[in-house]
Amino acid sequence: MERDLDNANPTILSVSQLPSRRRKGPSTRSGPDSKCDSIVFPKHSWPYGSYSSSDDGEDYGEEPMDAQDIYDLISTISDPEHPHTLGQLSVVRLPDIHLNPSPADLSDPDSLVTVLVELTPTINHCSLATVIGLAVRCRLEQTLPPNYRVDVRMKSGTHAQDDQVTKQLGDKERVAAALENDTLQRMVDKMLETCA
Amino acid sequence: MSSSSPPPPPPPPQPADTNATSKAAIITPLSPFQPDLYQRAWSSVPHPTLPLLATAHAKSVTVFSLATFTKHSALTGGHARSVRTVAWQPPRGSTNKRLGLVTGSFDATAGLWSFDAERGAGGAGSGDALEREIRLERGDDDGDDDKEEEEDKEWEFNLVLEGHENEVKSLAFSPGGQYLATSSRDKSVWIWEDVSSGEGPDDEDEWETVAVLSEHDGDVKAVAWAPSHLPNARAGVRRGHYSADVLASASYDDTVRIWREDADGEWVCVAVLEGHEGTVWGLQWETKERSDGRFPRLMTFSADGSIRVWTLRVDEEEEEEHGADEQQEGNTGFRSGFGSVPNTMRRSLREDWDCTAVLPKVHTRDIYSVSWSADTGLVASTGSDGLIVVYAEDESASQDVVGTTAEDGTLGPRSNWKVLGTVTNAHGPYEVNHITWCKRFDPGAERKGKEEMLVTAGDDGVVRPWQVRIS
Repeated sequence: MERDLDNANPTILSVSQLPSRRRKGPSTRSGPDSKCDSIVFPKHSWPYGSYSSSDDGEDYGEEPMDAQDIYDLISTISDPEHPHTLGQLSVVRLPDIHLNPSPADLSDPDSLVTVLVELTPTINHCSLATVIGLAVRCRLEQTLPPNYRVDVRMKSGTHAQDDQVTKQLGDKERVAAALENDTLQRMVDKMLETCA
Repeated sequence: MSSSSPPPPPPPPQPADTNATSKAAIITPLSPFQPDLYQRAWSSVPHPTLPLLATAHAKSVTVFSLATFTKHSALTGGHARSVRTVAWQPPRGSTNKRLGLVTGSFDATAGLWSFDAERGAGGAGSGDALEREIRLERGDDDGDDDKEEEEDKEWEFNLVLEGHENEVKSLAFSPGGQYLATSSRDKSVWIWEDVSSGEGPDDEDEWETVAVLSEHDGDVKAVAWAPSHLPNARAGVRRGHYSADVLASASYDDTVRIWREDADGEWVCVAVLEGHEGTVWGLQWETKERSDGRFPRLMTFSADGSIRVWTLRVDEEEEEEHGADEQQEGNTGFRSGFGSVPNTMRRSLREDWDCTAVLPKVHTRDIYSVSWSADTGLVASTGSDGLIVVYAEDESASQDVVGTTAEDGTLGPRSNWKVLGTVTNAHGPYEVNHITWCKRFDPGAERKGKEEMLVTAGDDGVVRPWQVRIS
């Protein structure tokens, strides 16, 4: 089996290394990265410590979606060939998730929010890039409100056919048809089993 | 608006007059078609004459009455996967009043269906009777559930067209109904010819493949035949190169291709239209007759968020020949399909199509659908951003430019398009997949059967009519 894998030895992050909002205590915030937090983030008592979306925090009633929320939704998707999640394999990375405009700025719930997720396949010729992208798009379309438009791309230069894969993943008609293909649907379902 | 009647010095006020550029479109929602379909609706196609609208959604088609905005009938059980596209079959023969519909599905097949109106109406075999029956049937209908089974029986699945390797994305009948074009993710366009007799209600459907066009490098998203009822649509025939039918196809490869049947009966690509920077989702022919008498233009729309207008380039010399031809034909009343120019003297088979206009950019994401009204010439677009945009061409401006551009012989008349009105969030937060101009037959119409409304179909499964008033 191992010989059949596209990438038999990917780099794997442990769960504690993954970006998360729920960091407890000062120990996880002692690195050099956090030194500027007091400047970057406004001083207010956020219950979870640092909050990456800097301009919000007042509306506790309905908390707007941010990149960390999107990360949490898709980082737990399983890789189709490795027994790890897309987060652990760094296929999904927090800095490569962008929301535009920030949902915190919206007044009308029907206003569109574009979620751009750039994926980094584990190796250059990953034949399963399309399936991974499909699973990410599926997961987000199933869980996000209907005013979110999901754009899933291969990070430029990471994949031999990244433009083609990106174009396929952006094509609503192809995505719809792919999800009516039993084999593909089963693969995607299996990948999404590990999502909470 | 009509170019055939001589314009009197003070033009009479017309409700749908679009000449003045200062006008605006007021687009207001009407009550949606019932019932709600709940799943993504891909497209809604009005019947060319009857008050019926066919909407493709999930694995079926729901036919709505345009008189009552309620369900008329349904086509179910013919396809294993989603029905992506649907087209009404032009009437065949003089005695055959059968209602025909064709469906294109992700299951890689196309299906031909018929609705036996004669049986339904108790033997009254005319189109008028069918129309009456459609209206009457809806008049006293409150219990959709009771009638559903009965309705479903009225549509018969007659024939399946197999051949495509992947999803069928689009299909279209040629204006005379002789040909059906289907397109697919397998990068090909198939042309099928109707070889059934076309007479009698029990006539068996029989279609043959006459061409497989595989020059596109990606999914063929849409096919559309040029209108042939207009006098100006016969330019190619006059040139003596081709038969009257002209097909255009739009593709995932970002291009549009124009196809014609040559004198040897071969379907050939005569032009490749390049300019879009993304998947070309579809195309619309100009079906309103042009005041300058030229060949219908083609409008294309794309994932790049733009709408382009393309014009067939006609060189002066050739145009003079046409004039002569026309006079001769007028005298004899004879028009040959392939003209009289010998093979060896024919010009190149290639046609030159120029992009002569880009409509004002309003959409921020994929444009999934555009409709170009045959009546008013107004254009409506919609797409992923949930916007409806209505545009009008300032024809007086375009005519001013004709004189200057015709001299260099390379540019057709330049057109000048303006946005008349927009609707944001037409289907709330959802994407809108389709838009079409459609005649009104509902009690709220001011001019029943003439006045046009818009109908949109969205990911929310709602099919929504819109009143459009130009003021």
